[in-house]
Amino acid sequence: MSVSSSPSPRRSAVRALTRHNEIGLIGLIVLVTVVAEAAVPAFRASGNDTQILDNAALVMIVAVGEALVITARQIDLSVAATLGLAAYLVGSAVGHIGFAGPVVGVAMALALGAVLGFGNGILIERIRMPAIIATLATLSIYGGLQVVVTHGSQLYSSQLPNWLGNIISTSWIGLSPLVWAAIVCVVVVGLIARFTRWGRDIYAIGSNPEAASYLGLRTGRRTYEVFAVCGALAGLAGLLYAGQYGNVDATAGSGFELTAIAAAVIGGVSLFGGSGSPLGAALGALLLTEIENILAVLKISIFAQQTLQGTAIVVAVAGYSLLSRRLNRPVRRSLRVEAGQSRPAEPSEPVSSEPTEIAEQGT
Amino acid sequence: MTFLRRLTRWETGLLVMIGIVLAVGSATSPGLLSTYNLQTIAINNSVLACLAFGVAPVIIAADIDISVASTLALCGVFMAKLWGGGMDIWLAALLAVGLGGVLGLINGVFVVLLDLPALAVTLGTMGAYTGVAFLILKGAAIVDFPTGLLNLGSGTIAGTQIELSTVVVVGLLLVLTFVVHVSPYGRALFAVGANRQAALFSGVAVTRTRLIAFVIAGMFAALAAVFYLGNYDTAQANIASDQLLPAITAVILGGVSAYGGTGTIPGVALAVILLALLQSALGLAGVSGQAQTIAVGALLIFAIGSGAAIQALPGLGRIARRRVPDSEPTASP
Repeated sequence: MSVSSSPSPRRSAVRALTRHNEIGLIGLIVLVTVVAEAAVPAFRASGNDTQILDNAALVMIVAVGEALVITARQIDLSVAATLGLAAYLVGSAVGHIGFAGPVVGVAMALALGAVLGFGNGILIERIRMPAIIATLATLSIYGGLQVVVTHGSQLYSSQLPNWLGNIISTSWIGLSPLVWAAIVCVVVVGLIARFTRWGRDIYAIGSNPEAASYLGLRTGRRTYEVFAVCGALAGLAGLLYAGQYGNVDATAGSGFELTAIAAAVIGGVSLFGGSGSPLGAALGALLLTEIENILAVLKISIFAQQTLQGTAIVVAVAGYSLLSRRLNRPVRRSLRVEAGQSRPAEPSEPVSSEPTEIAEQGT
Repeated sequence: MTFLRRLTRWETGLLVMIGIVLAVGSATSPGLLSTYNLQTIAINNSVLACLAFGVAPVIIAADIDISVASTLALCGVFMAKLWGGGMDIWLAALLAVGLGGVLGLINGVFVVLLDLPALAVTLGTMGAYTGVAFLILKGAAIVDFPTGLLNLGSGTIAGTQIELSTVVVVGLLLVLTFVVHVSPYGRALFAVGANRQAALFSGVAVTRTRLIAFVIAGMFAALAAVFYLGNYDTAQANIASDQLLPAITAVILGGVSAYGGTGTIPGVALAVILLALLQSALGLAGVSGQAQTIAVGALLIFAIGSGAAIQALPGLGRIARRRVPDSEPTASP
């Protein structure tokens, strides 16, 4: 079913734009920035731009992993607890490592996160628990573990090695190492999702799990992998969290799961699976953080921010869905003629040419 | 008949687990079954019970509502504000329940009429409702509610040791059990949850059924707010935000499938009792509050895992395996 052929060139241009909603998001971010620069003096204050990027970095890293999981039509609520656990455990361990600290620290954080994520994968794939329930349970368990291992104490910035403690105060070509780490994560995961077979598998599984398994894709294995990757990114974010805030306790990271999901959703990742991109999720994180920052410098209370953030999520979801439905309407009508009364898959963007590509490779 | 069989299966398991917790708990700490402790358990969990009862129909209909705790907070604040403005507390409570219904309806309109993913919408309204609650109170708290309300929240029925709130919660349980398991609406609810498309083609009013489920969730969250104010005697914008996960845990532990279409309200009630007893037993055994969440999470995995294992037994396996792909397309994550 080639649904990508469209009636008029103008419409196809619009559709291309919405399909690559990253362009729209960048436009929105630029627009918000320009308006804020012009209207809010405090926004122009020196250092505010780097502060936005620093604050967005962690959300970006976690949101990128979350985007992969959501694209595979799953969800991971346990990222916040993974982040907190890694922040404390790896943060306190790296202080004792003298040689090649950064490499070992990052490897430990990634490994710990991957193991925790793999645990989610086992529950979902082996025990066949729905992802939302399994990760709800592991959110409790990993969060409880975080309380147990911290046993009421805190990790202070003085216990961190220099490379980690100075992660936002040093500057490499104008950006802090923290932001560079986020950029590397976004680029690497974005490229993998877009250009590798693994990435296409994830989209195929998210679009239609059953069809994907009939095509011979190893859906079970991909589930393990996608959760491990998401966990690893959350673990890395945890290590960086320790560096950024310099202060880790039993509540570190709580609430991060919803921020990450919100960023992914605002970035155009469909909760029905199979559409969206890691880059979009990262841009969503940036937009969310920027709006938060503007509200903060405007001295609007944190509670109004919460309202606006919630409203933004609903508006974003409604907007994407209505837009894609509107653009797909003629296609849907023509499909209905062909395929009788059957409803085309989901209101989200139909899988264009991906399944055929995969079919060719898979067989 | 199937209903009865399920009831005996899952609910029996819950009863067994309650028995185990009671036996082990009272052996290690005799105080568990004292009247005072049981009363404490009862009044502290009426809020959780109400929230869980409310979310259950939504999950049975294969949707999800994670905004219930925020709905609770907003309704509680609204009620306190009305009372602070001179209104009778019971009239304020009634209006708060109405507001809960409206907030649930707002969720429903977005999810059902606009056909958006329930998780994303209620994630958004969760933030929005809490934010509005904060805007109303501006961070302050309202305290010192009239004795009538406090009596409902934490008082006993005159002359007995039975908590008033427990009686009311049991009443709500009976009403909801009737609605979900006896009334035509309940049948529609299960049909919609099991297979939305099939229900639609069978002439079930799918849209209305799902909308009503969200309204029920909102109203029960508001009722939970009434109990909350009565028990803790304080209304703040961040109240009960930690009750969301236990409520959903209770619903799933109670045998409601996250894919919708199965589960019972009495099962959810048993799950609430189990969680409450477990929490109290662990507390008496000296396990810290947050570390108890490990036990709750492990219990959830154990319950779902053993449920899946039972279904995978020979003979039952074919039914179970067939069910899963059937219900998958309707599940909104």
